[in-house]
Amino acid sequence: MTARGTSSRFLQSVLQNGVGRYVCQLKRISLIFSKNAQSSLGARNFIEEGVVDYAKKNPGTVVYISPEPCRIPRLVAEYLNGNVKEEKITGKTSQEISDLVTKLTNQSGLDIIRIRKPYHTDSPSIQGQWHPFTNRPPSVGPIRPPGKEAST
Amino acid sequence: MASGLLASRGVLTLGLHYQHVCRSVLVTQTRQKKRWMKAYTRIMEAKLKLEGPPPPKRRSEKPNWDFHAEVEAFGARLQENFQMERLKAAFVNPCYVRVEQERRGALGLEPETAVLALKDNKELRTRGVALTRDFLSDWCRASFPSLPAEGASALVDHLMTPEVVCHVARNLGVEDLTMSAEVPVPDDVLYGTFCAVVAALEESSGPQRAGLFLRDFLTTQLIGKDLFDLWSVVNPMGLLVEECTRRGLPLPEPRLLRSAGASTVLPLFFVGLYCDKKLLAEGPGETLLAAEEEAARVGLRKLYGYTENRRPLDFSPAPQLHASQSNTQALSSG
Repeated sequence: MTARGTSSRFLQSVLQNGVGRYVCQLKRISLIFSKNAQSSLGARNFIEEGVVDYAKKNPGTVVYISPEPCRIPRLVAEYLNGNVKEEKITGKTSQEISDLVTKLTNQSGLDIIRIRKPYHTDSPSIQGQWHPFTNRPPSVGPIRPPGKEAST
Repeated sequence: MASGLLASRGVLTLGLHYQHVCRSVLVTQTRQKKRWMKAYTRIMEAKLKLEGPPPPKRRSEKPNWDFHAEVEAFGARLQENFQMERLKAAFVNPCYVRVEQERRGALGLEPETAVLALKDNKELRTRGVALTRDFLSDWCRASFPSLPAEGASALVDHLMTPEVVCHVARNLGVEDLTMSAEVPVPDDVLYGTFCAVVAALEESSGPQRAGLFLRDFLTTQLIGKDLFDLWSVVNPMGLLVEECTRRGLPLPEPRLLRSAGASTVLPLFFVGLYCDKKLLAEGPGETLLAAEEEAARVGLRKLYGYTENRRPLDFSPAPQLHASQSNTQALSSG
């Protein structure tokens, strides 16, 4: 659809993150996989190799591992602003799942939609916003077009 | 089951698959478009429209929840060292304790055996509120030294309104951990829980860390806000005159600087305030009075040092704590 037909937002951060201290916005990640299905092979390998290191490196994120009979293994990421993002990891390798998990960790929970401007500032003007009266010499009486002798 | 065998041989070409559930029961399946799906979906939508959406559930009642791991992750995420029992006590609200007691009484347990060994967060809450207010007042006075007492207290009051505090608490994950009677957690309960968490932090790591926590999460809510949005001033000109007399400046005199479209439906007047023949502030408005009031507000902002182009506040990082030893314990099984 067009940009007008789809939703969009301005560049923002959750709770001015980074101004004071940086808080990792991912609060919980759940890995739902099957113990026997072929599609969860990458997920099982990731659990064997990479998940413990990931959990140690991100102490602020709780990692849940739920083996249950399912055809499509999933990663469910919950963010501090309440958004929940679900990603299918069917047939992905352990490395791909690890990269996906890193990507989810680095995201803030804001929606991935069109960002209207790639910049945002709270102090848009230092010397004062220009308006048509800035640097205009004052005059007494109404402004008139210049007379015939001034025009070339 | 001769009939079943005959039927299966002839009908496989139609795409019907039979499943022997037991000797006398045969279940038919097709892999094509399900004919019952449309009716079922319509009935479920009608049921949803009648009954409304299902009631919200606490996060602790949904799958994948480990309270101890979540509380540890909460502390690690904020880079703060909390004492676990104090933090867990900070999340327990009196309404939750009351509801739990009632539930145990309704189950028929004896009152003595059913006593809930949970301490609620009443004292932590009052301490937290007092702590927050003191810290914010000191911080306001230190960051904006020219702001008078009413202005500073207006800023502090704004920062301590339930809307601001609950917005901060919700985006820090406090709502999931709060134990309260109703869900979603009401604003005053969440406010109390956040203040109790601040008090728990002060008990665990000292008042300095609690101050840094409040500075990093609560005072950042002032970014992008204008002074007179938070502090409603009815007579800015009078306040400006007071401020000038306090500083020993001569009284401001308003003068019309620019005007455009005075007889149209959108006139514009620029009024400047002069102290001792030097321009203090200028402000626009649709009428002369409005322009003078706006000029007075601009002058006040300049005198109090709360302009848009002021030096940004100092949020230099706190001295780093060592990585907490709780990260190994966070790998508990669900």
